[in-house]
Amino acid sequence: MAVGTLAARAAAPSSAGKTRGAIVIDDVVKIYDPEGAAVMAVDHCSLNIEAGEICMIVGPSGCGKTTLLNAIAGFHEITSGRILLDGEVLCSTEKPKAEPSSDRIVVFQNGALFPWKTNLDNVAFGPLMQGKLTKAEAADKARAMMADAGLAGVEHNYPGEVSSGMRRRVEIVRALMNEPKVLLLDEPYRALDSLTKSVMHEALLEIYYRNKVTIFFITHDLEEAIFLGHKVAIMTTRPCKPKKVLEVDIPHPRDYSVLTSKRFRELMEETNEAVHEEALKAFAAGEKEG
Amino acid sequence: MSAVTVEDHAEDEVVEILRQTMPLQVAGADLLRRIAAAGRRVTCEARTVLYEVDDIADDLYIIVSGEVRHTLGPGALAKEPTKVLKKGDVFGWAALLDKSPRRLARAVCTQRSELVRIGGEALLRALAAEPDVGDVVMSRFATMISSEFTVPDLTGQLRRIHRKLHAGDPQSMNLTLYRMSLWLKSPRPYLMLIGFVLFLGFWYLSVEVWKLPRFREMPGITTVIKEWLAREPTYGLSLYTDEYYKHIWVSVWRVTQAFFLATLLGVPVGLFLGWSRKFKEYVFPIFETLRPIPILAWVPLAIVMFVATESAVIFLTFLASFFATALNTMLGVESIDESYVRAANCLGASKSQVFRHVILPGALPFIFTGLQISIGVSWFSLVAAEMVSGQYGLGYVINTSYTMVRYPTIVIGMITLGAVGYATSALVRVAGDYMMQWRTRELALGAQ
Repeated sequence: MAVGTLAARAAAPSSAGKTRGAIVIDDVVKIYDPEGAAVMAVDHCSLNIEAGEICMIVGPSGCGKTTLLNAIAGFHEITSGRILLDGEVLCSTEKPKAEPSSDRIVVFQNGALFPWKTNLDNVAFGPLMQGKLTKAEAADKARAMMADAGLAGVEHNYPGEVSSGMRRRVEIVRALMNEPKVLLLDEPYRALDSLTKSVMHEALLEIYYRNKVTIFFITHDLEEAIFLGHKVAIMTTRPCKPKKVLEVDIPHPRDYSVLTSKRFRELMEETNEAVHEEALKAFAAGEKEG
Repeated sequence: MSAVTVEDHAEDEVVEILRQTMPLQVAGADLLRRIAAAGRRVTCEARTVLYEVDDIADDLYIIVSGEVRHTLGPGALAKEPTKVLKKGDVFGWAALLDKSPRRLARAVCTQRSELVRIGGEALLRALAAEPDVGDVVMSRFATMISSEFTVPDLTGQLRRIHRKLHAGDPQSMNLTLYRMSLWLKSPRPYLMLIGFVLFLGFWYLSVEVWKLPRFREMPGITTVIKEWLAREPTYGLSLYTDEYYKHIWVSVWRVTQAFFLATLLGVPVGLFLGWSRKFKEYVFPIFETLRPIPILAWVPLAIVMFVATESAVIFLTFLASFFATALNTMLGVESIDESYVRAANCLGASKSQVFRHVILPGALPFIFTGLQISIGVSWFSLVAAEMVSGQYGLGYVINTSYTMVRYPTIVIGMITLGAVGYATSALVRVAGDYMMQWRTRELALGAQ
């Protein structure tokens, strides 16, 4: 790719916008049996996520949300059912484990920037490994994308030298460098304080409006879910499946004023009970964090 | 600039003025004096234009008395372009920007004002001489420009100033010096000194003054030092004999060979142990059985296996080091967070790329812990090996001095061993810091 077109491409929404990144989760079951006794983590779970949509998965800790994410990313097998990406089968009963690939990139709960590489080298990592860009091209593109995300000036710092909020942003930019179809976020803001979190939410939306990538976002924070998502799927606790799927009809682009709007409060009220119910069940079952 | 009169340097007064400005509050007395020496005091009449937008920015100004109106040009994108500056305010900071700076504002005295002018280059030089404080001063300038002058877009240029101060970008050197200066300022070196004095004092008193029963045969500290520094030592070994250095050299050379051999074999074996579960299942139990066997127990076999004593000694020295290195490397690989490997997989890295970019650097902190242990252990086993066989080396010195009743020489050998051992392990640590700058920098931040 010519370097000159990068700035233009970053400014305009991706031309492929609405055609890539549709996920269909079809009747997926996942059973673990580490100690001989079968534990059902995901129970006949079906969910449609449209291309370019932000889908928030809400459930108590340890309910099996991450299992679903791992299946999409290709870290774990499924027991039965299938998962499709843009109509292609990622995994199914016959081929239980998807191949990890740069069209589905995970942003991890505790962050997985390589601490031994500078922020710039981290961001440039994907295209370099895949041999898609030369070293100089990758560095140029990384620099441009970091500047777009408000990360100019920390390119040559190591991740350990910048704030945790910035690290998260670097990690998201590292993912977007590969022009993925889907971003899989596993409670990325869990460890952040609530002020940093609110900044990160707006930053994420800003990045999203520019890139229009499908986002699969796991959280246990209902407010976060309704604020960010087009769609909020509230999951039951182990086994995990959608208990209630909510279409959030607050128009995008959103900013923080949404939080005090009437519609937002109505949606919160409508869903709060379902979430609380599951939290109680999870508490009673004594599930460990995970 | 017609109505300018130059007054003589009332340096102490200037230092006091500088100390009261926001960016220079953090500077120490020496630094302030150096900056003051570069400054001039000037008095300007009302309506004097100090500079216009796009003039060459050379000096920085500090107001001693009077008032200056400072109007930023549209290019600066300030939220509030006009600002009235009073006593203690600093302006003309464009002189600190990178690359032949130009003025971004117009500055006019609204009344008769006294000012201190400081050359920007001179100020930067003074700050670069004390990079740690200089850094803080520069970041205070950055804060001042963005918050008081409401200029948003200079961060890029200012960061470069900030980085420029770290002359010679491999920051580990600066960091080492910085830590050294911190260390000297702390009470720690003096406590250490007191510790040594107490220890040596006890040695002196117990052997030579009190003559305690258990210490009767011990060589006293004065005897040892006299022997060590003697041009013609009673027992043939001192700082002035070639023999002494020969022993040191032989020991160092043996340890070096054994250490490198252990590293060259231990690191790959450790990486493989951590990387491949199957390999670990074959090899690890053998490892764990052999590892606790003391080096002295290996001596007979070593002598049987290697006909030449030299290779036997090196083999014995190598053995314990190898286990330490391999084991720590293995633990290093196992300690790597699964997320890093998964992230690399997501980003399209192949298996060998994961190894090169994730496993190896991720295990490096543990590998270097292993090498620290390894170098220590190698001295340990070297002395054991040299006591049993060999004709040279510090272990040999200690052993033969014992059989020949040259007690002061034993102690000389021991102290030398301690010093040389400490030096080699410091070398390993420095190498580690150099190879893991990401970690050194992280730790330095944590220590602040």
